[in-house]
Amino acid sequence: MLNKTVIDHLRQKVGAGNVYHEREDLLVYGYDATPEIAGFPDVAVFPQNREGLQAALEVSRREGLAVTPRGAATGLSGGSTPFRGGMVLGLTRMNRIREIDEENLTMTAEAGVITVDLFNAAAEKGLFYPPDPGSQNVSTLGGNVAENAGGLRGLKYGVTRNYVMALSGFLYDGTEFHAGNKCVKDVAGYSLRDLLVGSEGTLGIITEVTVRLINPPQDKRTLLAYFRDIRTAGEAVSKIIAARIIPATLEIMDKTTINCVEDYARIGLPREMGALLLIEVDGHPAVVAEEAEGVRKILEEVRADVIRQAANTQEALQLAAARRTALSAVARVSPTTILEDTTVPRSRLAETFAEIERLSEKYGIRVATFGHAGDGNLHPTAVTDERNLEEVARVHAFFSDLYEKVLSMGGTVSGEHGIGIAKKGYLLRQFGEGGIGVMRRIKHAFDPDGRLNPGKIFLDEGVPAEMQTPGGTDG
Amino acid sequence: MAEPCPAGHFHPKDAPDYESILQCMRCGFCLAVCPTYALTNRERSSPRGRAALARAVAEGNLEFTAAVRDESFFCLDCKACSTACPSGVRVGTIMEFCRSQAQVFHPPSLPAGMLRDFILKRMLPSPALLETSMLPARLYQRLGLQWVVRHLRINRFLPPTLAKMEGILPILTPPLRLEIPEMIPALGEKRGRVGFFLGCAMSLVFPEVSRQTARILSQQGFDVVTPREVKCCGAPHLAEGERETARRLARINIDLFLSLEVDFIVTDCAGCGCALKEYEELLEGPGDHERVGRFRAKIRDISEFLSEAGIRTEGLRPVPLTVTYHEPCHLVHGQGLSGPPRQVIRAIPGVELREMKESNWCCGMAGSFALKELETSRRILERKLAHVRATGADALVTANPGCHLQLAWGVRELGMKQSVLHIVELLGKALPQ
Repeated sequence: MLNKTVIDHLRQKVGAGNVYHEREDLLVYGYDATPEIAGFPDVAVFPQNREGLQAALEVSRREGLAVTPRGAATGLSGGSTPFRGGMVLGLTRMNRIREIDEENLTMTAEAGVITVDLFNAAAEKGLFYPPDPGSQNVSTLGGNVAENAGGLRGLKYGVTRNYVMALSGFLYDGTEFHAGNKCVKDVAGYSLRDLLVGSEGTLGIITEVTVRLINPPQDKRTLLAYFRDIRTAGEAVSKIIAARIIPATLEIMDKTTINCVEDYARIGLPREMGALLLIEVDGHPAVVAEEAEGVRKILEEVRADVIRQAANTQEALQLAAARRTALSAVARVSPTTILEDTTVPRSRLAETFAEIERLSEKYGIRVATFGHAGDGNLHPTAVTDERNLEEVARVHAFFSDLYEKVLSMGGTVSGEHGIGIAKKGYLLRQFGEGGIGVMRRIKHAFDPDGRLNPGKIFLDEGVPAEMQTPGGTDG
Repeated sequence: MAEPCPAGHFHPKDAPDYESILQCMRCGFCLAVCPTYALTNRERSSPRGRAALARAVAEGNLEFTAAVRDESFFCLDCKACSTACPSGVRVGTIMEFCRSQAQVFHPPSLPAGMLRDFILKRMLPSPALLETSMLPARLYQRLGLQWVVRHLRINRFLPPTLAKMEGILPILTPPLRLEIPEMIPALGEKRGRVGFFLGCAMSLVFPEVSRQTARILSQQGFDVVTPREVKCCGAPHLAEGERETARRLARINIDLFLSLEVDFIVTDCAGCGCALKEYEELLEGPGDHERVGRFRAKIRDISEFLSEAGIRTEGLRPVPLTVTYHEPCHLVHGQGLSGPPRQVIRAIPGVELREMKESNWCCGMAGSFALKELETSRRILERKLAHVRATGADALVTANPGCHLQLAWGVRELGMKQSVLHIVELLGKALPQ
């Protein structure tokens, strides 16, 4: 607990309504969307401007508090949970859109702007901001940048990083930084911008971001296919990519997910099917027509069991209904939903599905897998109950084995959720001591006292891994 | 049923169901649709935060503190979060349970408690008492006092809550319950027999609206049975954490309507419809579930009923109006009915439906919220009315007495041109005389 003088000082500097220290508030600033993980801060501060933020940082330095930046706390790796207590620094009240620059096709906004608001502001000017993480209706730009968030459009349009042109903010010691600019070409010095994107709030507090905007696609076609055998679906994905067709959306759902959706929504999905692919091509109308035809041919070639093409927007929405409902359907099965973001080279999709099936049988757990097949980013989702410790242990063992396999195929332990607390052990496996060592030195250069979002990304040396992350290193 | 869970720091009687709290995976999707979070940007005033507080109490990590009580009442219970929630958590319902916990852990002061008990346990369960209680208000209007108060702007000197109560009250006529025939025969080819659940607010405050409902049902080919012995649906009791009285009323209404031998039970009040559809849940535990289930299966909102039965459009006269539709929370979020009211509106010849932004966002009435949280309620209302204004529609259509009062008050306060109509009033205009 912080003493009253410190709280009063904060209230005076940042505004009384922007400082929370009651137990009921602190309890709800301890979590994000990651199961099994929660911290408990000493204070939560929501500056409305840079001066307020600087003042909060100054107090945290003087009091020796850890600082955990927080957007909407929708993260899935524990990145914004105050693992070591201290100060939660909320960015949601710095939420102004500063500028839309139609000459340079950029938008500059504060970190707390909600992703979908950014998208809408661009759309009003006839422009397009593509990154669309699943939580875009609530997630913040700052959070998206800190986690380098992905989304459904990742395959064709890339992820948050591909749109960040510049950012500014503060280091823990109060130093202000500006990285990047509106120049299309810029090779001056190390790219601090690229270092900060995806740094999970461990290097600096990002307060303002300039993003690149593009032209929106003029047309879109939607196709849906069912496959008895999920390997055929994997083959279809590989062939579509090999045919140099890059759909805007290329989503997959496995049998368990199809059945969860059908249990919940009863929209007449074929329960016996092993997989569903949802494909959307977009762009210039002529190209769209050609690509849709190309996709259809490939689906016929690999003998997809059912192929449907939407004739209009209404039908497109109907085809997308199952995929849209996937998370809801899976989440309702049980109290706890452990949603991972295993990612592999696209050519290894079918193999990965087979491994998920084999391992879920081995550990006797229920796993529904859906995700972004086109970019190899899958969401194997274990449905469990956190009170059943024995089953949860099996879930962790399952993911541990799965990541071993994924790494052996040249995959990554996180496609879009980040490492946070949940995957520290896996990161070590992916990079080894050497790679982690370099990262630690970078962290030290930005934040020598380790006050900024401590306990994230790296395992602490000399502390058993199972004390630091839900699954430990070995699951 | 899952195994019973310890109530933690909750009182075991009427504690929120632990399983339902645990179902929250904290994804935060609810943050985007919560009116109180939109205003405060404070996590504990969001559905995710409220669920987390309830969980902390259930797990013994937090006492049922004054802050928990306050959050349970600050929640509008608009249920928008239930619609947004991927995993089926109903934070509004969890908060209703917390409100009944509040009566145990933070009982109201003696006079306030007596007033609460009188309103919830005596007045609302008794239609006659309720009707008598409205007499002074009617007298106030009949004697021209209201005219004097409003024209001399005496209401400026009233305490804010009273001023709003004064301002929100429409012209009152005698309650419909005593006037409506107990049986109105179907016109034309008969399609069935329905029971009309006449809500208290409809009967007392909007008798002309409910008169239209009965007229429409009859014109559409249904015998309409309106029992005078009907009791309050219990919605105010659930909202105020008085579950025991709600159960008592529910049992009476079930017995009453099952004895009528009707095909369906129709209501024109979204709040009543929502409460009636929740009777099964309210009466969980030992009891005759077959009867409750049978009752539940018959409940229909008027729009739901008409769109299911199919609207007979022959003979309808054109109503040349541009309208926009405000979705009552208890209809769209509480009952999942978004399409049927629009189908009804579109079925009326001449009517143009112009959608407003955020049509399913609460209007800020939320039962007694509009009188307890004046400033917050006003800000929520202003957000709504800005969207209404932007449509340029002639009329603002809704389907619930609470919304109706709040919206009509707001439109008057801001000097807007829209008239506020219940959906059956709009349909009533199209009916042959």
